[in-house]
Amino acid sequence: MRRTLKGLATLVSLAATASMVEAQAAPGQDTTYLIKGGTVVNPGAAPMPNTDILIRNNRIAAVGAGASAANAKVIDATGKFIYPGMIDANTGIGLQEIGGIGTMNLRSEMGQFNPHMKALVALNVESEILGVTRMNGVTTVLTSPSGGVISGQATLINTAGWTWEDLAIVRTAGMMINLPGSGGGGGRGGGGGGRGGGAPVGNPAQLQADFDQFMTESRDYSAGRDAGTTKLDLIYEAMRPLFKKEIPAIIPAGNEQSIRNAVAFGEKWNIRVVISGGGEAWKVRKFLAEKNVPVILGSIESAPGDNVPYDAIYAQPGLLYDAGVKFAFSTGQGSNARHVAFHAALAVAYGLPLEGALKALTIWPAEILGADKQIGSIAQGKLANLFITTGDPLDLRTQVAEVFIKGRQVPDDDRHHRLYLKYKARPLPVIVP
Amino acid sequence: MRLTIRSARAAFIAGVLAMPGALGAQDVAIRNATIITISNGDIPNGTIVVRGGKITAVGANVQVPAGIRVIDGTGKFVMPGIIDAHSHAALEGGINEGSESVTPEVRVQVKNDDAVIYRALAGGVTAALQLHGSANTIGGQGNVVKMRWGSSAEDMLFKGAFRIVKFALGENVTRASSTAPADERRFPMTRMGVEFTVQYWFNKAKEYQKEWDDYRAAVKANPKSDAIMPRRDLRLEALSDILKGDLKVHSHSYRADEILMLIRVAEENGFKVHTFQHVLEGYKVADEMARHGAMASTFADMWAYKVEAWDAIPFNMALMTQRGVVVSVNSDSDERIRRLYQEAGVGVRYGNMAVNDALKMITLNPARQLGVDKMVGTLEVGKDGDIAVFSAHPFAPNAMVEYTLVDGKVLFDRSEAATLRKQAATSPGGNQ
Repeated sequence: MRRTLKGLATLVSLAATASMVEAQAAPGQDTTYLIKGGTVVNPGAAPMPNTDILIRNNRIAAVGAGASAANAKVIDATGKFIYPGMIDANTGIGLQEIGGIGTMNLRSEMGQFNPHMKALVALNVESEILGVTRMNGVTTVLTSPSGGVISGQATLINTAGWTWEDLAIVRTAGMMINLPGSGGGGGRGGGGGGRGGGAPVGNPAQLQADFDQFMTESRDYSAGRDAGTTKLDLIYEAMRPLFKKEIPAIIPAGNEQSIRNAVAFGEKWNIRVVISGGGEAWKVRKFLAEKNVPVILGSIESAPGDNVPYDAIYAQPGLLYDAGVKFAFSTGQGSNARHVAFHAALAVAYGLPLEGALKALTIWPAEILGADKQIGSIAQGKLANLFITTGDPLDLRTQVAEVFIKGRQVPDDDRHHRLYLKYKARPLPVIVP
Repeated sequence: MRLTIRSARAAFIAGVLAMPGALGAQDVAIRNATIITISNGDIPNGTIVVRGGKITAVGANVQVPAGIRVIDGTGKFVMPGIIDAHSHAALEGGINEGSESVTPEVRVQVKNDDAVIYRALAGGVTAALQLHGSANTIGGQGNVVKMRWGSSAEDMLFKGAFRIVKFALGENVTRASSTAPADERRFPMTRMGVEFTVQYWFNKAKEYQKEWDDYRAAVKANPKSDAIMPRRDLRLEALSDILKGDLKVHSHSYRADEILMLIRVAEENGFKVHTFQHVLEGYKVADEMARHGAMASTFADMWAYKVEAWDAIPFNMALMTQRGVVVSVNSDSDERIRRLYQEAGVGVRYGNMAVNDALKMITLNPARQLGVDKMVGTLEVGKDGDIAVFSAHPFAPNAMVEYTLVDGKVLFDRSEAATLRKQAATSPGGNQ
């Protein structure tokens, strides 16, 4: 990234940068930035060459030639490209750290019905995974709980911030629901590894009956609250946004039947549904387009099953795009969330137009997760989540020059740069004989 | 080992429409493509000719012999077949002989009808090192294979390659029996124990060598000597082969301490660590590795999945290369083997490696680690016709493998392959 040539200098000059920032902005205020002369690439629009971006108070204040502001720190982007920050639409970032250590992977609460579990309030802001994720231009991720039937509330967050409140873009962006019997995790529990997870279920029919009852009671509760006739219940209350269609149910579903079941579930309870995973979504792509049901694709870095063409996983996004299905990319876990652009590159190679890839990395996940007024494109009034590159971020030869999150320039202070710069500067070994 | 009759089933599983002929090299030319030679730069509008399985011409002004198959390479990129220096694909019946922690006498077996072979070809891979697993301090021997899809298991073996044995250090070895009852656990359980295990067994191997040397010397001095022939021990014989340099050590490793430990133990005992596998903290001891002459076969960017992978960084490839270590990037996975070109490109994204250096990590460098660099790894006259043809530069977002050739035979042809779009066009429910 920027970082090879600039990295050492950046670290060395961090203190200097900080004092520069203070010189330009009053203490506690954010620096005003003017990114000059770059080509702005927005999803679904022609690239805009020689376009300036003014960033003030965390947001994009202006986009266009000749934007200016007194006291702005100027970033010269001549010959470079500016993209909206990329989004990984399903991870465990902030809930998970080192795999294989149970206490560092608390993504799954015990029990089956956990709509009241909120990923946001348990996020570790100092997670090293946040830092290495943003350095490749991934400014936003969905972090989801897992396990049980209703896993809890997924949250859409930035990959830089000072507290979990500061990270949040959409505090509750969706309710994670594993439909019983779908193979999507229902009844299996413990989907995220580590402690907790759903209790083993001996009887799938009983689980289905319990779930139906829980949904019925939740709907009745919601109606009762609307009528002012029911007193507060913290668990059922967490289900209300679903019935008011303020948030979608995000439902893991892989095969064709599971996907159809998930859509039917949404229609039965009159709630919005987002398919997660969607390995066979291409088989029902017209159906999904007609029903206006979007898909958060599972990791494209997966081996195909035995009875599918070798390129099935890579080629599916192109088929969905052609059919008019709205979708997003996801890496699923987190430590390699920064590679989400490379997932998209595989899809492009096998038939997804580049502009479709850019949409599925930016504006579509923003729309699917209720954040398109805040992020997803470079537009006046949106949060200044963007990154500057030497070229197409899907091209491995491209270098990421700068990353801005919430209008703040992100330093190269992530774990990987720290180790890189330290050992790059290692002197030759001197051993006491 | 299985013979080709089962390959038909595998071909069906993989969705292959046409099986390549198993016998007979094909003469073929790829014309008007960008040819990435690795050794002599890129040739725009170049032509490469393969006859009798070998490259007979490569360059800008090459005459294509009459009557041979010609592939139009306009707009395409041609590179040496990709080589994976760490794979467990296409292995028959398990990869770990985990009953004991030292088992260099065993060897992994080729499963020639595994659909992974076809899928690797579809990612441009033409050769791989099939390794024993990482449960043992000194594990079993591996195979270097060519992805000769449709051939017998025996014919997949890459003749002339190194004999290679797997070592392993760190968490996998020490936890191999950690869940067993206390009295059924297996030594070693610590990195300290791993060091001693290597010391102990090479000490035994040297004693064994000396017994045989003494016996042979006695018989040579006096053919009627009553010296007794030592008992043959296949385990110590394999270790003896390591000491003689006939069997190359590829050691699974993560942390800098264990990498340095094995280098020093090897030097004390008189053998060489030929290649460190994974070697995620190699960047911390790259100078020591380079001085020992050890090469490195690493992941592009795998980290945080266990404690010993916590200091892994994607700059590892660039840093080790800068310090003079020969670096390859491997798959260790039936998934990543399908897109190793992308993994190599990660070295450009993180660390800004030169594009050709990054491509070396999946061609010439693994060829050196497997002992096949005189035959493959670059596009040069006289080398094997192992070639991958991409739709675009392998690091570009629209890069897809269109043809893969092994020994001049087109074993993957995208235009003939079963693809999702073909299935979607014909599947009855496909557009519902």
